[in-house]
Amino acid sequence: MGEYKLLLRHSHDPAYATLDGYQRLGGYEGLRKALSMDRQQVIDEVKTSGLRGRGGAGFPAWIKWNGLPKQKTKPHYLICNADEGEPGTFKDKQLMETCPFLVVEGMTIAAYATQADVGYIYIRGEFVDAARSMRRAIDEAYRAGLLGKNILGAGMDFELHIHTGAGSYECGEESALMSSLMGERGMPRLKFPHAPLPTISGLWDSPTLINNVETYACAPFILSNGGAWYASIGASTKNSRGTKIFSVSGHVRKPGNYEVEFGTPLMELLELAGGMKGGALKACVPGGSSVPILDAEACQKAIIGYEEMMEVGSMVGSGGCMFLNEHTDIVEFIWRTSMFYKDESCGKCTPCREGTRWMFLILDRIKAGQGRPEDLQLLEDVCRQIDGRSFCGLGDAAAWPVAGALKVFRHEFEHYVRHGRSLVARG
Amino acid sequence: MARKTDAPPVNITINGIDLQVPKGELIVESVKRLGLEIPIFCYHPRMKPVGMCRMCLVEVGMKQPDGSVRKMPKPQAACTLPASEGLVIFTDTEQIHKDRKGVLEFLLINHPLDCPICDRGGECPLQNNTLFYGPSTSRFVEMKRHAVKAYPLSKHVTLDLERCIQCGRCVRFTEEISGDAQLAFRHRGAEMQPVTFELEEFTSKFSGNTIEICPVGALTSSHYRFRARPWDLETAPGICTMCSNGCNVWFDRRKGKLVRINGRTNEAVNEEWTCDKGKFGTDWMNNPRRASDVKVRRGDGFSRADWAEAYAEILERFREGGHEVAGLAGPMLSNEDLYLLRRMFDETFGSSNLDHRMTSVQGPAVEPPSFTIEGLEDEKGAFVFGASLSDESPIVYLRLRKAWYRQGARICVATSRPDDADAFAAVSVRYPQGGEAEFLRSLVAELRVQLEGGRSFGELADLASTLLETRGPILATESLWNLDQAGEVLAQLRLAAELLGVSLNVMALGANGQGAEELGVRPDAFDRTGLGTRQILEACADGRIRALWLAGVDPFEAFPDRSLVQRALENVEYLVVQTALETEAAAYASVVLPITAPGESDGSFTNVERRVQAFEKAVDPPAEAKPAWRVFSELMVRAEPRTPHFSAREILAEIAREVPAFQGVEWSAARDGGVLLGARRPLSRARS
Amino acid sequence: MAIDVIRDVAKPILAGFGITGRRLKHPKVTVQYPEQTREQYPRTRWRHFLTRYESGLERCIGCSLCAGACPARCIYVEAAENTDQERYSPGERYAKRYEINMIRCIFCGYCQEACPTGAIVLRKNFELADYKRESFVYTKEMLLEEYPGQADEPYVSIYQRQS
Repeated sequence: MGEYKLLLRHSHDPAYATLDGYQRLGGYEGLRKALSMDRQQVIDEVKTSGLRGRGGAGFPAWIKWNGLPKQKTKPHYLICNADEGEPGTFKDKQLMETCPFLVVEGMTIAAYATQADVGYIYIRGEFVDAARSMRRAIDEAYRAGLLGKNILGAGMDFELHIHTGAGSYECGEESALMSSLMGERGMPRLKFPHAPLPTISGLWDSPTLINNVETYACAPFILSNGGAWYASIGASTKNSRGTKIFSVSGHVRKPGNYEVEFGTPLMELLELAGGMKGGALKACVPGGSSVPILDAEACQKAIIGYEEMMEVGSMVGSGGCMFLNEHTDIVEFIWRTSMFYKDESCGKCTPCREGTRWMFLILDRIKAGQGRPEDLQLLEDVCRQIDGRSFCGLGDAAAWPVAGALKVFRHEFEHYVRHGRSLVARG
Repeated sequence: MARKTDAPPVNITINGIDLQVPKGELIVESVKRLGLEIPIFCYHPRMKPVGMCRMCLVEVGMKQPDGSVRKMPKPQAACTLPASEGLVIFTDTEQIHKDRKGVLEFLLINHPLDCPICDRGGECPLQNNTLFYGPSTSRFVEMKRHAVKAYPLSKHVTLDLERCIQCGRCVRFTEEISGDAQLAFRHRGAEMQPVTFELEEFTSKFSGNTIEICPVGALTSSHYRFRARPWDLETAPGICTMCSNGCNVWFDRRKGKLVRINGRTNEAVNEEWTCDKGKFGTDWMNNPRRASDVKVRRGDGFSRADWAEAYAEILERFREGGHEVAGLAGPMLSNEDLYLLRRMFDETFGSSNLDHRMTSVQGPAVEPPSFTIEGLEDEKGAFVFGASLSDESPIVYLRLRKAWYRQGARICVATSRPDDADAFAAVSVRYPQGGEAEFLRSLVAELRVQLEGGRSFGELADLASTLLETRGPILATESLWNLDQAGEVLAQLRLAAELLGVSLNVMALGANGQGAEELGVRPDAFDRTGLGTRQILEACADGRIRALWLAGVDPFEAFPDRSLVQRALENVEYLVVQTALETEAAAYASVVLPITAPGESDGSFTNVERRVQAFEKAVDPPAEAKPAWRVFSELMVRAEPRTPHFSAREILAEIAREVPAFQGVEWSAARDGGVLLGARRPLSRARS
Repeated sequence: MAIDVIRDVAKPILAGFGITGRRLKHPKVTVQYPEQTREQYPRTRWRHFLTRYESGLERCIGCSLCAGACPARCIYVEAAENTDQERYSPGERYAKRYEINMIRCIFCGYCQEACPTGAIVLRKNFELADYKRESFVYTKEMLLEEYPGQADEPYVSIYQRQS
């Protein structure tokens, strides 16, 4: 248990971001091994590893990889979702800046397994350094024959492109990302069961595999060390295998990215980050701003793992772990979160477009001391009217933190409504 | 509307009722089979579903092998959900009622309460859905969103962004149907607005349709603005007469006056769309310059007369006039008008100098069009020659675009000027003005080379090879008779059609131009010989024709050679002008007879695909105006004793008996959807 | 059958006058209209008025809801758009023509109920008789208050006003 540096093992080493350094430290072994294997064997290896999507939903990666047609009739596309917009999450940024070849190699392995011809890395527009680092890595890989035509002489072709976003949070949603990539408005598109899965009809109506940066970065290790080895990490959990990078922020002494094995207690992650600063632990948002908030008591019980986290009422999400100390005003915290979702709603569907704004306006009123007793019920109703009714997950993501905070920290909201000011003294 | 599909049927259950529907049919459509309704805003059957408004949420379950139903945790949008085997739908549960209330509450928090002054009020889907499914009160106490109000997006369309519910229907219309993509969303989230780029003018030729499909009063008609409320209106079906396509429309009148035109559904013709010309181009019907009285020239001025006086004077000049009298017919005369006009000239005046064509020259008759508007959808391609379809034949244009958008039809366009159809044409070529014949000669040569298996790399190689692959109908308009080498152009087009084995369709441009052809309103029809339009005008100018009848036409506007018209009208001894408006030609008249405008009397029109469509009086005519056929009938009776005609139906029945092409046409069928004339190729080989 | 003078004639007459006699001590209910008028019931509805806001702007926005609600179809409204140069009512729209045919009107008050701005009100002015049919078509000029609050002033009979 505890810290397990796999992806981030060499992240402190500047040489790791160069091709020579990367290969010296064991890079591209995974790809070489993959190319010596059958395509299906690669997918089976990923299946054995139990790797699950690291973008937030935790969908088993191999099902997606296996979902692309084996008989190719159209070009296959590969997309790396590097539009890391979730407040509190910054793991992909570090991965791309310090370990760009991990991503390139991982995508090449996935391209081999899915017969993809072209890959796109959709990088968040603000990540200029990450885009530069990826650009350098891709150029180097092209020069070394690790991208382009006939990779490593194995007869495999794979083109890799970088596309930078324009600052929309919604474009991190996979179908909106594809719309944006195709030059359309960054709005989500119909999903299963309303439309075929992206693995059948995604980018330009062709089979498309889309995964998070961290998911791809795991692939080289799974191939080089074997799926069974990877599955042995974090085996104490129900269904979560391997490691997960957590971006720890908030009132901690040493904020930053920490890679831990699944099965690690949440409090251990806090220890890694140097413990609380300025007061005792009051609450924690374990997986990025979209997931429900946990109070200190639940934090004590929380174990890092997709199912384990659900049990205490929250989610692993994308791993943006925010610890809040006892002087934090939860109402203000939720107010700020809801302002983010109000700004970032794409406007496509009614519940999200109107609901996020309404939620913000109510919270704004409560925060300004103008709250009415019926507002809390109203907020809950609005959350319920958004949750599950919106077109994509953004609506749910906007409603969960508010609904969660209302459940766990209702007394703080009530205090605000009754007295027009915060329960906690500003520290 | 979804067309018939060959999809296999699947079993689904809606509210406990089992039914079979084609696989892939959207649930929002399947529900209609049971006579149920799901409230919608963004869904439109003619456009791709997007699921934006979330109004159509239903609970969905799957039938398990053991017969139990497993419900999905979240409600699903019925407008995007395709039917599949074992789907179980609930549209009437407690939860769904709550969800609908929730969505409507969201939509209404920012919707202004200006229903009393909104032109949509009373026929507004948001009002209706709120009444049926919505909450009775709002819990929203904050400030509503404020945005641009009453912004004139174009001279036809007024935009009110506060009322917009961001359903995207208008945006999708311009992208999917009209294809000009002039509207798009800007900003995001609660600030999202459908507007033209930088709020510049909305110049789409089909912008009026966005007004009709807007589920709120965000897009309203600038012409209809504040002129009536829905409960003030009386509505009657009609046919648009602004071009030869014969769109089915609704005439909305208030106190007998036309205030608005809306599209009426006819799947075979215009689906439900109209062009802006048809929708907004009817202001002239309420023009103060409408001719309303019978006037007879006395010296330099006119004096009012009664019909009997005018008839006596006209008969004196025209009766047994033979070669010395002539007539020109206009494009908005109905089949009944034209039929009696020809009979009057034949039987009463004994003259064959009668023509309806207003092109520069008049050539021999061309074979009638054999395409159908609906059939275009199934063609693999089409060849548009020398016509700007979006202007001249907007509904044919929309169908061609639909054929491309839905089925990937490859449209070829050859014109002398850039055209709207270039946007979706597989091949578009330009030829210099005046070089039409030469262009067609090279095309025919190219077709021959390729047919013989030769390959060439000429400029026209692409065009020829696409034509040979698609073999779609050739579409040209009668405006080709305005070209210098009209005869040669037509000959080459025929040759090309023959080589390709496709039909050549020379489309009429006037509302009833095709009807006039069918009914023989031309000097060479039915083995007669007479003068064509140009010859008539020339004969008028040099005095060979002494009396001229202008039936619903102003040659100053319609005929290309203005000076010839002026000489003709100045020199002709006696001029009868039958007109709905006080036109320029009316100033030269000896007698002015007011006629009704289309929609002010019963009648039938023959559209560009030879579809006879009847309509009934919808609007009151001004004072003394009479339908043209009534005037002809009354004159014929005055000239010699015979049975008069009393109604348009009766005349159409007579046409059906007398004119071979119209055999079997009945009024009721012509009124309800229309009757196609002539035998057609079976619909279509391309559908397989 | 012979008539009994006392039973059949005198007695009923006396009884009848008896009622009259007994009534003499009651107060009179008849008033000398038009010199005197009786107070009307609070919910009496007679003549329509189009009212104004305090600012002098017309309340009527020409929405035709009154015409829609009218069971006698006696209201005709033609709307037009306000401009900044020529402003009649606060919003975008005002009534250019507003006519009520008083002969057709049944004074049901639905128009008042339907009005979203409280523009049309029915007041107690009941003396509406006239000599010509045409003069019963009340135009907007006749219906509109001259100044805000005019319609709310207590009604005085036209005869009393003259004297």
